[in-house]
Amino acid sequence: MKRPALLLAVALLILSFALISYRILWLEYPILPAAPAKVWQLSMDASIKGGEKETTVLIGLPSTQRGQLVVDEHFHPGTLSFNLLREGPNQVGVWSGHISPRGEAIGYSSTIQVQPPRLLKTKPPKLGPYPENIGETEQKLAMRLEEKWDSLPPTDRLRRIAAAVNGFWGDPLPDAQDLQAWSALQDKFGRVTASLVLLRAAGLTAQVVEGLPLAESITNSTVTGIEVWTGQEWEHLQPEKGEIYQKPVPLLPLTTGGLPAVRTLNGELSEIRWTLHREIINQWRIKFERIRRSNRWLDRWSLFRLPEEFQRTFRILMLVPIGALMICLLRNIVGFPTFGIFLPVLMALAFRNTGLAYGLGIFWGVVLIGYVVRRWIDRLRLLLVPRLSVILTLVIVCITIFALIGNKFDLRAFMAVGLLPFVILTMTIERFFVIIEEAGVREGLWTAVGSAGVAVVTYGILEIEPLQLTFFVYPELLFAVAAVQVLLGRYTGYRLLELFRFRRSGGA
Amino acid sequence: MTILETIHRLRETGVLGMNRRNAEYIMRSNPRAFFPLVDDKLKTKQLAEAHQIPTPPLYHVIEHHGDIPVLEKVLSGHQDFVIKPARGAGGSGIVLVKDHTLGGFIKQNGEIILMKDLTYHISDILSGIYSLEGLEDRAFIEGLVHPDTIFDAVTYCGVPDIRIIVYRGVPAMSMVRLPTQASDGKANLHRGAIGVGIDMAGGTTLAGVHRSGVVTHHPDTHKPVTGIQVPHWERMLVIAAKAVDMTGLHYLGVDLVIDQEQGPLLLEMNARPGLQIQIANQTGLLRRLDLIDKARPGVFATPETRVAWALETFSASTPV
Repeated sequence: MKRPALLLAVALLILSFALISYRILWLEYPILPAAPAKVWQLSMDASIKGGEKETTVLIGLPSTQRGQLVVDEHFHPGTLSFNLLREGPNQVGVWSGHISPRGEAIGYSSTIQVQPPRLLKTKPPKLGPYPENIGETEQKLAMRLEEKWDSLPPTDRLRRIAAAVNGFWGDPLPDAQDLQAWSALQDKFGRVTASLVLLRAAGLTAQVVEGLPLAESITNSTVTGIEVWTGQEWEHLQPEKGEIYQKPVPLLPLTTGGLPAVRTLNGELSEIRWTLHREIINQWRIKFERIRRSNRWLDRWSLFRLPEEFQRTFRILMLVPIGALMICLLRNIVGFPTFGIFLPVLMALAFRNTGLAYGLGIFWGVVLIGYVVRRWIDRLRLLLVPRLSVILTLVIVCITIFALIGNKFDLRAFMAVGLLPFVILTMTIERFFVIIEEAGVREGLWTAVGSAGVAVVTYGILEIEPLQLTFFVYPELLFAVAAVQVLLGRYTGYRLLELFRFRRSGGA
Repeated sequence: MTILETIHRLRETGVLGMNRRNAEYIMRSNPRAFFPLVDDKLKTKQLAEAHQIPTPPLYHVIEHHGDIPVLEKVLSGHQDFVIKPARGAGGSGIVLVKDHTLGGFIKQNGEIILMKDLTYHISDILSGIYSLEGLEDRAFIEGLVHPDTIFDAVTYCGVPDIRIIVYRGVPAMSMVRLPTQASDGKANLHRGAIGVGIDMAGGTTLAGVHRSGVVTHHPDTHKPVTGIQVPHWERMLVIAAKAVDMTGLHYLGVDLVIDQEQGPLLLEMNARPGLQIQIANQTGLLRRLDLIDKARPGVFATPETRVAWALETFSASTPV
């Protein structure tokens, strides 16, 4: 008899757990959706001046890749047409069209979360060719210069090269002629290319990254860095300073692989401004934006896809089963008496409008007035249904008077009772009266206090925002709740209050 | 005493809790379809008659508000009577009338009830005020039981009744419920009646329970409630045992009264009998129910064999 229920509970738990794992492991959902996350707000605005022909502006934009997550992005094409292209690993925004003589303003904004990349087993990248325009003499020169470091591991090799870019060659100092040739090369091609040549000669894979310094800033230019594969990970070399950045790298890449971040055809960017600032948002906001645009199966069936006005309702609805679970606990484990199961849950929902103190005040006020009137009405010998209707009317009158009083004293909570509570209050008054009649005042008050207590606990649960968010992000938690409910349904042990009730039986 | 110790002690004593009663006895033994047979006292009555089990005589049934006018004529033919809602729970809506008076009746407790109040009461019954789910109900009028004098000393104006818990047709535990002033002459424990355990083997009363405390004397008459020999004991056990065959419900509370002339009469049955009987008997139900489950099949052959087995097995002096 117990086994099928147990199996069902286990099955529900497994189902719930499996769906949650799928979301966390495959869809990379946050484990704690309500935890705060730091993000960067990036915005770009630029004005374009054009010529006779159609103008095209290509700007490298951040995309979701290792180490960063684009939470949401917005494009402001102005009157131009806009396209998003992929060029190799890069995402490029393409604005094109005829520019009016007054110029054209374009813009872009996004929210980006920078996170440490997950350690994945990636294939080591292939060693590329030397940069363009580098002849054989230069290649040989570079190889001569770095020869002495060939025996070092890649990370150390990179550090020696970084020092060399800054002019420190270490012992033994290379041939003076070579050094002279090298500084000529560096002057001719620039530090970035020079570093690339040296790295290539040292057998290290490297790529140019153009991006923005990751700091609260407003800037009109990008910075260039070099990413170097050192066997385990990409390290970041800053060639202008000859520094290797610590993790996390304070650079937000726009393009990699040597592609310029900003390119224009038949026109010019008269002004470009990048703005970066920090913001703190909930983890679920990050998910929210992504899920809305995701095509994956569970994402498409996510509650985030609902129109916003209905999402609020579902955030609460998701928690109602927990309220019911609380009632199961308090009734079957503790043995608390309540007026039915739904009454306390509905009361808790009503408290959300009024707040706890006023809600309880209104509840007790109306129930006590209702009880007095119900006592008196009993003498009128009304039939059941008309009598309930009278009480219903009385409840509405009470609520209305409370609202009017509330208005007089500017107490919004008195007016915010909503539509729900009148049914609850009517039924409570009737049940309260019947219990007092049948089982005495003590039992009646005890049940009313029990119901109010359960309602307060349930209200407390419904108001926990992290819990709301967690259930909203992972609705499959409801299966787990159901599993606990099934288990409680098979709890055949004593209720806590029974221990007192039977404490003397068989005590001898 | 810690909670764990209390739990342990209740387990030792075999006290049956509400959760286990519901999940393992009521739900398993009592098919829902048969509940109406016991929830509706009129149906119980008809069923009992079909099985030759005596019940208080039925005088009249009122099904519609339109039937109320003929009431006066019906009632004038009987000196005393009881008005009951067919689906009433916990003794609510029952009026005991012991005599007529000018323009009305004298209730069991001496109060006078006017005819118009009585018809209002019946109209309440019909509209379902006392019924279990607020459904429309029937009212019926039956003969007032004149209880056997054995309990006179420990009864405050009312009719004591005997509750027998029957599991799989075997009487498992029993108590007599004695009305008090607080219970308004009614025999329902939650109204303040006292429950007194009965030794299954001999049919003599043990200590009593009043409002979940143990008592040895009646709170109003101050006479001892223990050591009273219940008359017709075996006959009542057999009636209770038969109730299972009658209803198809295998975990049942059977309520009987003992009439001075007619002997034991079946009053009503309850598919969700309360657990206070364990306090009245100072012992738990669980071990007795387990013993019944382990009894050899021959025991269950007839109501008589089941009663014989119970008399032999359950005794207060050899506690099980």
